Amino acid sequence: MLTYVLKRVLQSALVLLVVGLVAFSMFRFVGDPIDNMLGQERTDADIARLRADLGLDQPFPVQYYKFLEKAVQGDFGVSFRQGRPVAEILVERAPATLELAAVSGFLAISIGIGLGVFTAIRKDGFLANMIMSVSLIGVSLPTFLIGILLIYLFSVELGWLPSFGRGEVTHIGWWSTGLLTSSGLKALILPSITLGLYQMTLIMRLVRSEMLEVLRQDYVRFARARGLKERTVNFRHALKNTLVPVITVTGLQLGSIIAFAIITETVFQWPGVGLLFINAIQFVDIPVMAAYLMLISVMFVGINLIVDLLYFAIDPRLRTDGKGAH
Amino acid sequence: MRHMLSAAVLAAVCAAPVAAEDFKWAGTTDPQTMDPHAVNSAPVLGFLNNVYEGLVRRGQDMSIEPALATSWEPIGDGEGWRFHLRDGVTFHDGSSFDAEDVLFSYERASNEVSDTRSWFAPVSEVKVVDSKTVDILTKAPNPIFPDSIANWMIVDKGWAEANNAALPDKENGNYATLNANGTGAFMVTEREPGLRTQLKPFGGWWDEATHNITVAEFTPIQNPATAVAALLSGEVDMINPVPIQDAARLQGQDGVQVIQGIEARVIMLGFAQESDVLKYGADAGKPNPFKDARVREAVSKAVNVDAILKTIMRGNAEPASQLVSPAMRGYSSANMDRPAYDVDGAKALLAEAGYADGFSFGLKCPNNRYLNDEAVCQAVTAMLAKVGIDAQLDAMPVSNYWPELRADNFDMYLLGWSPGTFDAEHPIRFLAHTPNSEKKLGSWNFGGYSNAKIDEMLPMIQSEIDDGKRQMMLDESAAILQAETAYVPMYVQPLVWGTRDNVSLTQRPDNFFILRWVNVQ
Repeated sequence: MLTYVLKRVLQSALVLLVVGLVAFSMFRFVGDPIDNMLGQERTDADIARLRADLGLDQPFPVQYYKFLEKAVQGDFGVSFRQGRPVAEILVERAPATLELAAVSGFLAISIGIGLGVFTAIRKDGFLANMIMSVSLIGVSLPTFLIGILLIYLFSVELGWLPSFGRGEVTHIGWWSTGLLTSSGLKALILPSITLGLYQMTLIMRLVRSEMLEVLRQDYVRFARARGLKERTVNFRHALKNTLVPVITVTGLQLGSIIAFAIITETVFQWPGVGLLFINAIQFVDIPVMAAYLMLISVMFVGINLIVDLLYFAIDPRLRTDGKGAH
Repeated sequence: MRHMLSAAVLAAVCAAPVAAEDFKWAGTTDPQTMDPHAVNSAPVLGFLNNVYEGLVRRGQDMSIEPALATSWEPIGDGEGWRFHLRDGVTFHDGSSFDAEDVLFSYERASNEVSDTRSWFAPVSEVKVVDSKTVDILTKAPNPIFPDSIANWMIVDKGWAEANNAALPDKENGNYATLNANGTGAFMVTEREPGLRTQLKPFGGWWDEATHNITVAEFTPIQNPATAVAALLSGEVDMINPVPIQDAARLQGQDGVQVIQGIEARVIMLGFAQESDVLKYGADAGKPNPFKDARVREAVSKAVNVDAILKTIMRGNAEPASQLVSPAMRGYSSANMDRPAYDVDGAKALLAEAGYADGFSFGLKCPNNRYLNDEAVCQAVTAMLAKVGIDAQLDAMPVSNYWPELRADNFDMYLLGWSPGTFDAEHPIRFLAHTPNSEKKLGSWNFGGYSNAKIDEMLPMIQSEIDDGKRQMMLDESAAILQAETAYVPMYVQPLVWGTRDNVSLTQRPDNFFILRWVNVQ
């Protein structure tokens, strides 16, 4: 047991190190921050001085090592663009992204499951077929296009919802939330739909196909034969048994909701870490890019590690290593 | 006493036009700092012009007018300039303004760690004569010095020292990065970097306020489509810029208006003139044709600027004949014609230079620096193909572009230049003078154009007091640059802003948005 866990943790750490190394070797291709930091009237001497100050004259493995050395102590350096500690900026921006991801996830799961069950039960109904065809849009249209379409419909044409930003936020300690004001809630609607639409359709289609499968099983027929109410059969017997794969997929999708918030945040000028990352790329703000990429990979690696450990707990076959045979 | 005074000023403001208004505007870039000496970039200086002030400022027509100095005059025979400071000026925190603040701001802005220090290259010393008089001595006579310091903003000595911000710190930030204390018409009341910045009118401002804003809020919106939507839905009152392709459509919408003008920025083609061989394309390694002025002239005849303006700029830009636009001081009216579009003439010149069969080379171009930059380069590539020369276009983000230019990795390249001093001397210093890192000249002359006469004239232009003689030298420089086709100036980039139709404002060619000229009906 312990060796398995240790092995997985070590593997995860190795993955993180490799991700960091790849990221640092890529930064050279993103461009040079020097010209963004110095004005039009800079001289060659200024360029050389700043490059040395920032350590950009060092080869990338050295830059990476220095980054790691500080990062393990919780110091992600200072943003080239803002001249403030990266950790401080990330803490400021994280609530926006996490709140957006949580609301999107909630919408995706609740609406996805609801529609999935509906389309499975009314397999050949007109409305169900319509939902199925419309859901194709959700999987096929790119996020930014959906976002722009929603903005034009609900902000420009109808004027119901704001087109950008988070609205009014309330600060609770270091956390800022838009859930407590009406403008904050309104501002959440369009971005969270845009961000969650893909996951929603995914969950819906998954629930539908699993449900159709389950509804054909003998125990469902027996339940029907026993004269149980249709609702009890559908929700108590059928739905429960479709949820196992749904939970697995949803868990894995959670990471991508946060990671792919970048596009939604750009379209809606949502002040989260994704927008911060896009700005950092444009400015070649290496400390911010590095910290963001490391955080995202920590998150993905962490989720995978937990999933692996859960499998280990659930599936006894994984435990049949040398010592487990007793 | 001060409070009574500000109350009186406030009353006058409120009584003046219509009721006071909230004003929201959006731009693509958030000013990265509130420190007026840390970063020399248009988004920062433009924003801070609302908060801080210099000894002089630029009016609606870009002319220099008194600000913190009421008057100035040359000292002796061009030894420098004497500035008489305004009485009764206070900073936003209430402390008063005097000559010590000017001296302090000079030392702060000209320090090695300040981005703005090149403005003070001609200065030898700044002397406080008395609390309301300052002498700025220059190494050589400098007729345009007062013009060159409109963006040099005065910081309160006591405030900066008390908050450990005696020097700007761009790399790690300090108190002045997030806070501001100027003498200008607006105070920074809230600042969340990258999210929003709130400004309120300064009640104790020395000048009479002509705007009717009570609260102004700036939000950066990176995505142009989102900014347009925010303007259309009325969530913001003004956006800068409007994407060129959206300008015509916005113009026709109810409730919004498009404000168009010409920026100070000239977009041009530059050539590798130092390199002996071509570096890109099928002819890489062969002798460099762009060393020959006839080939460069052929390029300038082959580029159909009118077509570029009509199709890519949708008629919003103006053709350029020289390195500065007509709105700049020292523009050469004598050289206002650009070579006509002439395919046969271009072919004849190429044949004369020995390239009748054309050649192949590399054209470097940014794809996110200037308006529709990549599309312009594609058009240029197609136009050059018509005269038989084959440009291999390589477009890239600006963060990759400058390092490529600095490393001389180009045969031909695209460049935009906006003179910081609004004077024709500026591009000669940066683009036309032979590169010389010791003298800090020609620092953006990537192609290595060199002409002894230009090099000789630059210091003379810089120190000539007589306007007529100065203009003659500027005319001569412009004529040389044109005759040798040092660059191919193509057009002056347009400025396109969008506002709600109840907003009146002034658009200046430096693309600075000045809040004190805004009125909301």
